[in-house]
Amino acid sequence: MNQKYTLFFVILIFVLVLPSCNRNQHEKNDRIVVAIVADAQSLNPLFAFSFQEVNISELLYLSLVQHEWNDSADDVRSYPMAAKEWKWNNDSTSVTVNLRNDINWRDGYKLTSEDVVFSFDLYSDPDIQSRFFGTFNKFYLDKDQHIDLKKSFVINNPYSLVINFRPHSNPGLFDIDIPILPRHVFSKFNRKQFAQLEKGNDSVTCGPFYLYKWNPTQSIILRADEKSFLHKPATVKELIFKVIPDYNSRITQLKNGEIDLMENVRNDQLRELTAINKIKISAVKGREYDYAGWNNLDPAAFNNKKDSPNKLFSSAKVRIALTYAINREEILDEYLGNNGALAVGPVAPIFKDSYNYNLKPIPYNPEKAKELLAEDGWKDLNKDGIIEKNGAQFSFILNYAGGNPRREFAATIIKNNLKAIGINVQAEPMEPGVLMEKIFTHKLNAWLAGWTVPIPIDLKPYWFSDLIQAPFNLAGYKNPDVDKLLDKIDKSKAGNDKNILYRQFQDIIYQDNPVTFLYWIDNIVAHSDRIENFRITPLGSVHHCWNWSVKN
Amino acid sequence: MKRLLSSLIVLFLMVCFVFILLRISPGDPSLKFVSPELNPVLAQKVKDSFGLNRPIPEQFVQFISNIFSGNFGVSYDFRKPVTEVISNHLPFTIIFSLISFIIQLSVSYFLAIWSIKKMNGFVDRLLSKTSLVFYALPSFVIGVFLIFIFSEKLHLLPASGLSSYDVDSLSAGERYADYLLHMILPVITLSLGGIAVFYKYLRDNLDEIFNKMFILNLSAFGLSPKEITKKHVIPNAISPLISVAGVELGVLFSGALITEVIFGLPGMGRLTVNAILSRDYPLVVGCTFMSGLLIIICNLIADLLKAKIDKRLIRGMLN
Repeated sequence: MNQKYTLFFVILIFVLVLPSCNRNQHEKNDRIVVAIVADAQSLNPLFAFSFQEVNISELLYLSLVQHEWNDSADDVRSYPMAAKEWKWNNDSTSVTVNLRNDINWRDGYKLTSEDVVFSFDLYSDPDIQSRFFGTFNKFYLDKDQHIDLKKSFVINNPYSLVINFRPHSNPGLFDIDIPILPRHVFSKFNRKQFAQLEKGNDSVTCGPFYLYKWNPTQSIILRADEKSFLHKPATVKELIFKVIPDYNSRITQLKNGEIDLMENVRNDQLRELTAINKIKISAVKGREYDYAGWNNLDPAAFNNKKDSPNKLFSSAKVRIALTYAINREEILDEYLGNNGALAVGPVAPIFKDSYNYNLKPIPYNPEKAKELLAEDGWKDLNKDGIIEKNGAQFSFILNYAGGNPRREFAATIIKNNLKAIGINVQAEPMEPGVLMEKIFTHKLNAWLAGWTVPIPIDLKPYWFSDLIQAPFNLAGYKNPDVDKLLDKIDKSKAGNDKNILYRQFQDIIYQDNPVTFLYWIDNIVAHSDRIENFRITPLGSVHHCWNWSVKN
Repeated sequence: MKRLLSSLIVLFLMVCFVFILLRISPGDPSLKFVSPELNPVLAQKVKDSFGLNRPIPEQFVQFISNIFSGNFGVSYDFRKPVTEVISNHLPFTIIFSLISFIIQLSVSYFLAIWSIKKMNGFVDRLLSKTSLVFYALPSFVIGVFLIFIFSEKLHLLPASGLSSYDVDSLSAGERYADYLLHMILPVITLSLGGIAVFYKYLRDNLDEIFNKMFILNLSAFGLSPKEITKKHVIPNAISPLISVAGVELGVLFSGALITEVIFGLPGMGRLTVNAILSRDYPLVVGCTFMSGLLIIICNLIADLLKAKIDKRLIRGMLN
């Protein structure tokens, strides 16, 4: 009898609950749902550290200028946003910015020059530790790297100001591209406790969208601000960033129509998704690459504050031989198919003007690799299958982050390829946090990792010899000629001369091969055909999403 | 009282152990602030503000003095007090775990009774074999399979999330139905393994008790099989299960990582693992403390329940 009651109760629940399913499955015509892997930790542009957080916070807060990808020139084009216009002085040490006078904060206050100056003040304040802290080297600074407001800014009127830069600092529009914050809101708080105050204050925004609701670890719901000058009648009304940590769940929900857009679709999923009518695939050539890192410095000596070359990898000939020995095509075919390309250096082919087309990818050629190694003195004298030099065997550990199937596969290929030319490699996965720390402290001999090339291109932090100035020169690569070129690039204005320097830089890197550049990875985005005016660029997929509309 | 005191000492030692382990294990919380777009000085500034540049003994003394005032510090990632972050995630975990736990216990109870009634029959054999399958299946396989059937193919249930986006605009009843809908697949995923374990445990206990001599005696005294089962077999069979259930509930309260990841749920499991991966030291310590506390509480409750069933245990506990 009890069992009958239980069965009745279960059936009753299903009868009551299931009819409401249809309501929830209903696609709202004015809503776009974008899948994100993890929740944002902050939407305040001061503390929006991740790429995803930056992208969302840019929809809430306007900058003086905005950037868009210029497909015809394959470069970034800047255009006015909160600024109506700007004018540089003759020697480019100051810029007069006239603001739009039709931008209101959500609480009705106008966006003025005071807000702009206040924002620069906040971003450079050492007490706040914002994401822009330490990046204002072209401004007049005090000893704490805080911008000297008196020297750097002159307010002409509420909608016009002059920004002054240090002489010969070669400033550009990227230097004034910071999201503007409301002075009347943020000036009330103690700056040392800013980071903990943020959540309640992200409602006063001025962007094309405002934060409607944030369900922690679930979703971030933005709504179009109809008073924004960027708003158009067809603009998507509601933009939801839904947190879905699991890749397979994202794919399922895309097929279901529960989400409208997901990034970083894997190559092996493309055929299935392409067959679905309502889903479109868009890909953009990548600015992200994987590489095999060869420590040019001896890890043990480096950690004893000595600077001695690595016994295995300090010779350019050996590093080039390693690149010849690795079948990069095989990794590319297996994991990226047509959505990747072999890399020759750290400048992505998407930067057409700066890319050196004379350089061709080093082909897979084990015989050539053996020849180069022999020229450098690495020979298998004792016939044990492993080459040696001065009594030391060519044997090392290759570390990579566990849980990344592409890199796990690459590590296996590299291990097998190098074994074939007499190099003993032990491929060992590592927890990503540990791997990162060990790479940054130069404790590893060899590793697999990746970089994303910043926009605009910035090479000095990666390839300059002084490791203090170049914290991302993880391979410890040193070349005075490269240093001279990087200094020249720093001082040059964007244009043909700078592009020539970039190409010369790539020439040297190609000859030195400080690391083995493996392949460029395209960003593949799958999205519903409901989204109109969708355009993916190297700047991201939700960039300029105020231009999106929903097909009815 | 003695038991409670020893539990608290264990909890304190565990938190201290985690604190020291985190400080000596590789990884650096400030590496999150190292990227080509950020100035390297920022990472150093952040590290200073986290107090990570101070000697470990000094950090430890500070940590101990804070912990006695209930202050676990500020989460590096969330930039909020750890207690606040945990209090945002804990209610969901407790409700989710309790629902799953009740389902695990009740379903396994009914299945075990049913199975024992049909001992060695088709139902018994079927349930035994099926329970083994569900016990062996990892929860991510069950979760993905359920999503595939009920979300992708049948379009009956949502594939992830705790509620619909517009849940605030719904009436109380609709809101309840909305939460319930979102919870069906995760609860099934989380519960199936537990049901299998409890079923197997209870069924074997029942079988064992039924074969005891005193049951034969009771039958000889003329007690009906129903009365024997209700008054003698079930209480005897359930007692050992309570200890297992106490541990299981404690583990559930610590978070169901796989289920939370697959269904995008805001539980303690995801919070803890993310804190570990991003080296959010204060949050890891806070989560460990909370998990430990809940496990201790669950075990205490289990002991009290067992004692309620068997009075001899109360005397043992008091002694």
